[in-house]
Amino acid sequence: MFTHTPLRLTTLAIIAAGSLAYAFAAGFYGLEILAEIAILAILVIALDLVAGFGGMVSLCHGALLGVGAYAFTVAANEAGLTALPAMILAVALTSALAFPIGAVCARSTGIYFIMATLAFGQMAYSFVFQSPLFGGDDGLSGAPRPDLSVVGIDLTDSRAFAVYAILLVALAYLVAAATLRSGLGRSLVGLHHNEKRLRALGLTVWRAKATAFAISGALAGLAGCLAAQHTQFISPGLLSWTVSGEALVVVILGGLGTLVGPLLGAILFVVLKHEISAITPYWHAIVGLILIAVVMSRAPGVFGFIEARWTARTRKPQGKEATADA
Amino acid sequence: MTTDLGFWVLQTLNALQLSMLLFLLSVGLTVIFGLMHFVNLAHGSLYAFGAYVAATLAGTLGYWGGFLLAPVAVAALGAVLYYTLIRSQRRAGPMAQVLVTFGLIFVAVDATRLVWGDLPIGIAIPAVLDGQVALLGVQYPVYRLFIIALGLSVLGILTLILTRTQIGAMIRAGVDNDQMAACLGINVERMFFLVFVVGCALAGLAGAVAAPVLSVTPDMGLQILIPTLIVIVIGGLGSLKGAVAGSLIFGFVQTFGAVLLPTLSSVLIYALLAAVLVTRPQGLLPAKG
Repeated sequence: MFTHTPLRLTTLAIIAAGSLAYAFAAGFYGLEILAEIAILAILVIALDLVAGFGGMVSLCHGALLGVGAYAFTVAANEAGLTALPAMILAVALTSALAFPIGAVCARSTGIYFIMATLAFGQMAYSFVFQSPLFGGDDGLSGAPRPDLSVVGIDLTDSRAFAVYAILLVALAYLVAAATLRSGLGRSLVGLHHNEKRLRALGLTVWRAKATAFAISGALAGLAGCLAAQHTQFISPGLLSWTVSGEALVVVILGGLGTLVGPLLGAILFVVLKHEISAITPYWHAIVGLILIAVVMSRAPGVFGFIEARWTARTRKPQGKEATADA
Repeated sequence: MTTDLGFWVLQTLNALQLSMLLFLLSVGLTVIFGLMHFVNLAHGSLYAFGAYVAATLAGTLGYWGGFLLAPVAVAALGAVLYYTLIRSQRRAGPMAQVLVTFGLIFVAVDATRLVWGDLPIGIAIPAVLDGQVALLGVQYPVYRLFIIALGLSVLGILTLILTRTQIGAMIRAGVDNDQMAACLGINVERMFFLVFVVGCALAGLAGAVAAPVLSVTPDMGLQILIPTLIVIVIGGLGSLKGAVAGSLIFGFVQTFGAVLLPTLSSVLIYALLAAVLVTRPQGLLPAKG
């Protein structure tokens, strides 16, 4: 079950304070990176909600992000909505799409679940890729940023946009945490541990899974809106299954099922990506090697590692010591 | 157009050719899964490696040198992978397997870029198989007929091995219940290794035969992966019959969809996949029961 331990709260406070301070101190390049981190952070929070707590390892979250981005752009450009209603519409639509996907996939577990989500993600990808309404391979441009001039904020400024992105991450985190602490979240964790028992207790398993998937989908859609507003250009590549795979990598490297860990993972991943790709064009290989090393060593990710060390130090030392190298 | 017999013959042959290529890839992946419960997302990368080896050797040893040595090279790589990564991850659960092999894809794509560069490599069709032949009123490239024939012969050989030989009976026993098979004195570990390496060799073979018809690029492994996964999910993970059925369904839906319903073609196969997942989550012809 999800609880806010002192360590988690401290880490959250440090991340929040650090990113806000950075948002006010950084130059243009730093702000772009910050926005990129925020988009990935929302996506991995969404993924950790279902994968880390519900055991539903999804390979369609990239596609859900893409659906959110496309829905937002089309609603704003074609239907003439302003940014805020378009965002709400896009998030609602992504969520409404995630619910049936979750309901169908809820019947399968393990590798079948992964394959089923992959199939739905690819379906969305090829639909967007082929449909003339969505510009096909060329993508769409011109997604607007919300107009907050009423309160004197200009989001075309990259500093204001970075702060806005951080606030959206905070919102996504609060939604995920609230979900996990609700009855639904407790059922979800229970399902992960023992589905038969929860079924025997009278829970409608598919509905709980699908609802959690819909909430996660809404968050992924929010990440998509932010992605569309950030670059103001979207292409079918956003829906590619490798985006989902990368999100899963970030969740694992950060610490599956901790909600705080994936946030750290997103920061590390984007920063490392920019640092390594400045040195070598083969940064994917390095990420791949790190990933293989982490999974093979069974290390619980960066935050999981810190958490294990922390509890070992604060509580009485127990027989087993975690000796995993992250 | 659609009333012309030649059109149907041509498209049927195209569909068969695609099906057989996918069959070569998916049969290894699906039998490995059935036996070891291991999902190897890097299977497509093995195929790409096979294509690169074939393309490189074609320059010095000619097409047939590459054709024969590519499966051997890929099998050797598979053996290394088996002992370094696969064996220890066999009981680690699907998520760890997906992640490790996803990491492998990253490494493989960049390794091929590093060694062979980003530009596509093409190799020539061997002289024996070059040209076209008249068949039921249409002109059809000989090389594509060769792919169909190769796929059918591999299917025939595998069927014979699995149904008529002792090793085939052992593999079937392992798919059914590997612990019971081990109790009956079958060296399950050695069988796993053998099946994995043969699966890799078939992926390499698929890469070698695909090299002359498709351009050899670093991301060809990623591109073929999704169709291969669709094939084994539709057919049912772990079963040879499923791989055959899945390959044929994919090949025909994809080929005829592209010419008859061009706007819907790529969504069509995913819709079919979704329908299979909703009605028969274990696939059409699952390995068990």
